[in-house]
Amino acid sequence: MPEEREGLATESGRVTAGPDHHPEIDWIAAEQSPEFRDLIKKRRRFVLPATVFFLAWYFGFIILAGYAEDFMGESIYEGFTVGYLFALTQFIMVWGLGWLYLRKADRDFDPLARKAAETAVAAARGERIEGEPSGHERPTGLAGGREEMRPS
Amino acid sequence: MTFPIAADLNETALSIFAIVVAITLAVTYLASKRMTGAVQFYAAGRAITGPQNGFAIAGDYMSAASFLGIAGLIFLFGFDGFLYSVGFLVAFLTVLFLLSERMRNSGKFTIADVLSFRMNERPARAAAALGTLSVASFYLIAQMVGAGVLIEALVGIDFSLAVIFTGSFMLIYVVFGGMLATTWVQIIKAILLMTATIVLTLFVLNEVGWNPVDLFNEAKAKSPEGDAYLKPGLFLASPIDTVSLGIGLVLGTAGLPHILMRFFTVPDAKAARTSVVWAVVLIGAFYVMTTALGFGARAVLGEGGVEAAGTGGNLAAPLLAEELGGGAGTFGGDLFLAVIAAVAFATILAVVAGLVLSASAAMSHDVWSNIVRHGKDSEHEEVLVARIAALTIGAVAIVIAILGGSGLNVSFMVGLAFAVAASANFPALLLSLTWRRFNTTGAVTGVLVGTFSSILLVIISPTVWPGNDSEGGAFGFYDLANPGIISVPLGFLGCWLGTVLSGKERIAERSFDELYVRSETGLGAEVGTGVGLTGRPAGKAPASAM
Repeated sequence: MPEEREGLATESGRVTAGPDHHPEIDWIAAEQSPEFRDLIKKRRRFVLPATVFFLAWYFGFIILAGYAEDFMGESIYEGFTVGYLFALTQFIMVWGLGWLYLRKADRDFDPLARKAAETAVAAARGERIEGEPSGHERPTGLAGGREEMRPS
Repeated sequence: MTFPIAADLNETALSIFAIVVAITLAVTYLASKRMTGAVQFYAAGRAITGPQNGFAIAGDYMSAASFLGIAGLIFLFGFDGFLYSVGFLVAFLTVLFLLSERMRNSGKFTIADVLSFRMNERPARAAAALGTLSVASFYLIAQMVGAGVLIEALVGIDFSLAVIFTGSFMLIYVVFGGMLATTWVQIIKAILLMTATIVLTLFVLNEVGWNPVDLFNEAKAKSPEGDAYLKPGLFLASPIDTVSLGIGLVLGTAGLPHILMRFFTVPDAKAARTSVVWAVVLIGAFYVMTTALGFGARAVLGEGGVEAAGTGGNLAAPLLAEELGGGAGTFGGDLFLAVIAAVAFATILAVVAGLVLSASAAMSHDVWSNIVRHGKDSEHEEVLVARIAALTIGAVAIVIAILGGSGLNVSFMVGLAFAVAASANFPALLLSLTWRRFNTTGAVTGVLVGTFSSILLVIISPTVWPGNDSEGGAFGFYDLANPGIISVPLGFLGCWLGTVLSGKERIAERSFDELYVRSETGLGAEVGTGVGLTGRPAGKAPASAM
């Protein structure tokens, strides 16, 4: 545990980790909580198909550009080619999926994430995990101290 | 040591350069007064808003290679130039869906923070730092050489002097102003670049009577390639190479350290994802307009412009600007050329500053503070080391760029940066966030395999060994210019093999729950502590509102 850093942190008002780094949280329980599973399920239901779709649409474009040059070069409207139309749909796709994701995240994912986090914090407040020395603070887990992780 | 200054020095361009430099130095001065510590130095106190970060990402990402390079490729080869734009843009969906919010929620300053979170810290951090430093240095050297070549051609300053000039300002921003100054340099650059591109596009559309379809046809009519100009294959002749390029582009961005680092500068995950969408709006609009510039250059300059546009057609856009302003020698022509030159200069400055900052963070935060000093150094020491590292990396890049000279193959270096980013950084980062079983051995193996296979494949590629008698590269059986289709699967394979062949790492698997919950919910995420350029504290104003 890098004590010097922590000590210095409080003196200079520096925050090494967030003020709420929750050393008391049982992350395994948090991961299995219905609230968290719900968040993961809902987010995955959007992100997985969206990722598959954009990769398929993009690689469809790239593969056609590589292997079907003549098709891509066919004129649709007065010299404007299939290839350019296909390329422009990629732009529309990026903007559309980006906008859709922002909307989904604001409306659905953020409230679920907040709920999952609150549940984890509440569970930690309600029942202290045995073996975890109380008042012991561990930074975000980025600055070291891996071996002190949940003894169990 | 004296530097010869070319006779045809462009004074107008130099005065506009001076204005750009004065503004950015003022920003750096303001930022340096707010320098309070590591969070401020690496992450601008996490006080950058979503829209601001969107502009900064755009400024960080759209290099001179995008601006002049892609316009040039489109000017020369038509469709295939546009293929790059599409890949560069779609790549941001990978970032948005898979990484941006998770990085913000679980990281602190560097990629390594996330990658080593649940691993045996020192080896995992070392591997991540290797990935970051390789990408940043290849990209940095490419940009510096590009800067030298462009400024020499546009302003008439000698190559070496131009590199030193660019490198010095880059270092001033980073060393004194840290991330806050870098961010604002990137925002200013994005605004300048977008404005210049919009104005030029309007001029081009005016030339063709405001009908974009006419632009296509006029460009085609001026190309000796005819119909082939509007379809794939002129630049990217090998289909498999095209697909390989596509893989590298769409996954490479998600492994670029200077882009991922930007997500640590915003207050929360909401601002992180908002910033990606702002960035794709700007970058997408920019690439659509780049097409207009490339075609415009073809329609206006014709085949006669090919020689003047130089290697890769890099000077097509500036020449177009000169022509649209009234032609060479006229006041309008000179002014337009000077403005484009200054915009290109600002563009390079913003990108190299971001690169140096990400490399210096890897050196100080990862290598020095966590690996060498086991996190026992003071914050003061870490920031000092970051500044020294920035100076060192910058100086080395300047020296290599000058020694390599304008003959150094820029596209090879950029290709290498994207290949390593896609094959080493991206697989390890994604798996550490999503695969419970993934462990230290897997991460280290994956990064090493991804990095070295990319480097090896690029070295033996025909880009580096242009065969005199054969179509292929140094080895007849291997003729891919873009290694992605091989090196990305190799990177993932390295991660997987390293993991399954080594014993189970209980800590890595146990702390997966922690990283997983943190990255998905933002629980316990780093909070903003800094102040913005105007002195506004982080998190007070509706920072993440769109």
